[in-house]
Amino acid sequence: MNFLKQRMTTTLLVASLLLVFGSSPAAAADKKVVLVITADASDYILAAGGTIAKMLDAGAEGYLVRVTNDDKDSWDLTPEETARRTREESEQAAKILGFKEVESLGYRAGELGGVSPTELRDRILFYIRLYKPAVLFIPNPYAEYVEVLDRFYVGQAAEDARRAASLSNYQPPFAVVGLETHVTPELYYYAQPFDPRRREAESTATFVPQPKALDIASTFDKKLRAAQALKTINHSTAMRIKDRLESTDRRLPLLDEINEESVNRLVEINIHKLAEIAAKDTEHSQAEEFHYAGVEYQIPSKYLQ
Amino acid sequence: MRGYELTIYDKAARPVWGIGLRLAAFCAFTCLAGIAQRLPVGTIPPGNRLMIIEAHHDDHTWQWGFGGLAARMTDQGYEGILVRVSNDEKDGDDGYPHNDMVNLRECKAAVAHIGIDSVISLNWRNDYMDSTPLQELRAQLILLIRKYRPDVLMAYDPWGHYDRNPDHRKVSRAVAEAYWMAGYANVHPEHLRLGLKPHRVPHIYFTQRGDYGKGHEPNVAVAHDASHVRRKANAMVAHRNIYHQPQTARSIRDELRKQGLHVPELDGLSDGEAIDQIEKWYMYWSSERYGRENGLDYAEVFYQRAEWDHRPGLTEYVKNNAVSQ
Ligand SMILES: [Zn+2]
Repeated sequence: MNFLKQRMTTTLLVASLLLVFGSSPAAAADKKVVLVITADASDYILAAGGTIAKMLDAGAEGYLVRVTNDDKDSWDLTPEETARRTREESEQAAKILGFKEVESLGYRAGELGGVSPTELRDRILFYIRLYKPAVLFIPNPYAEYVEVLDRFYVGQAAEDARRAASLSNYQPPFAVVGLETHVTPELYYYAQPFDPRRREAESTATFVPQPKALDIASTFDKKLRAAQALKTINHSTAMRIKDRLESTDRRLPLLDEINEESVNRLVEINIHKLAEIAAKDTEHSQAEEFHYAGVEYQIPSKYLQ
Repeated sequence: MRGYELTIYDKAARPVWGIGLRLAAFCAFTCLAGIAQRLPVGTIPPGNRLMIIEAHHDDHTWQWGFGGLAARMTDQGYEGILVRVSNDEKDGDDGYPHNDMVNLRECKAAVAHIGIDSVISLNWRNDYMDSTPLQELRAQLILLIRKYRPDVLMAYDPWGHYDRNPDHRKVSRAVAEAYWMAGYANVHPEHLRLGLKPHRVPHIYFTQRGDYGKGHEPNVAVAHDASHVRRKANAMVAHRNIYHQPQTARSIRDELRKQGLHVPELDGLSDGEAIDQIEKWYMYWSSERYGRENGLDYAEVFYQRAEWDHRPGLTEYVKNNAVSQ
């Protein structure tokens, strides 16, 4: 009974929040919008591709904002050629997952530590107000030992952008051009499993995002095909593994010949293992892990009593 | 605990480096560590060269430092390089230029005890590193990584919480950036003009103050023996400009005397000799404590990232399927 009351109060509060902040053409339209922010072409696919594909399969409209141009991650290609190829491949990958549009912001990969966090936040804020998403996926800036630090910087900026997008005193010029404030009700923080403490709850407070594992069995193949579409990055990964092994007098039989087939097989092994890691100790066989902030996240616990 | 109570009131002791606060920190840590489970015992990775990148001349000396690990690795044939990032001008009482030079000289003498004979100083302004441009520092570190091609890096933990020291924060972040980027040819391609090649460091050990909340949680204990501890202790005492504080020993002995107590091992020693001895004991106590916690005689604990840990979906596969050529 108490629970029911709480749910009703929550629904009412969220409904009123959406009325106040979300009254826009896009929000009024029936289609649920999923906005995904990613630092690079591969991270969101590896960490969240199956879950996103599932939402898009179910009828949501997907938009991807890719912050960097991925110009570093290749083998024997110039930064320009790397960026050009990866842009094309990331668009193909997003299409496989069911995205409607991809925006590439074009920041040079690996250089976000020198970019103004406010600038980055406001770039992302723009897209939140433009697309008015119901669901937002962002890199988890609290995930520890993530090596690609662009993901950390983008995660911080995106988290900040989600909040700032709802407040009219942030970027008043955006209002002038018709971009009104927007509250995104659902937030998924994603990260590949680097952080050994990723499954520990930060705290029990209702407004703190909680660990959550989601079944991706039905969209696993889509996720795999999307990951395989990133040919430049995958080739680079295979070459880097081979190079390291050779420099220490070792070899991986799979990579004796590096070709489309062996690289695709390597990607398959990777995607399978990631799904297995996320599914460990859950009821799922293939999963993805998130820290999730649902509608309750926006309502201070004192109002839920 | 007694040491803490005695010296916390020692006005003469340096507030940051005073042994009293360090003992307090260590006691707080060990209380927490007492309930922790044993860590896996780490082995020394195969390789030839280690590189320690630290903000300050003395960051390898603390009980959460790298002294024991470095001593063990250099014993096994590793060549060691230490990169001191700041100029340490604030550490000492004799003015900035003096401190810079003396601390660097003592750093070289100190790390010689743990088998390192090469110290590179980048001389960024000490305690002002929040404003050091991350990418300028990163570029220097990438260049050094490509030049020396270490198999092992050691640095403060960029994911550690509550490290109030701006130099530790900035340097650990810059190391993490350099570690990530040094392997990509499209990063600083100008280095390749010198004949340098991209280099991904396969192993990294992170450390941080063990008493700073749960921010840094080690995943490996590395054993060392009594000779490594002795050398680590000698390395600490070699930083005389900041650690040689006879007044601290004097106040400890005064307090003990008031309580009718004394430490027989310190009898007959001057205050200067006594403080050196106390600092050395401190290294033994901490190494023993980490050892005991993990079923070893002496140990240091780290967060280690190994060769394939940056590809979590492939780590197991590559480890299990790689064969000799
Ligand atoms: Zn320091």
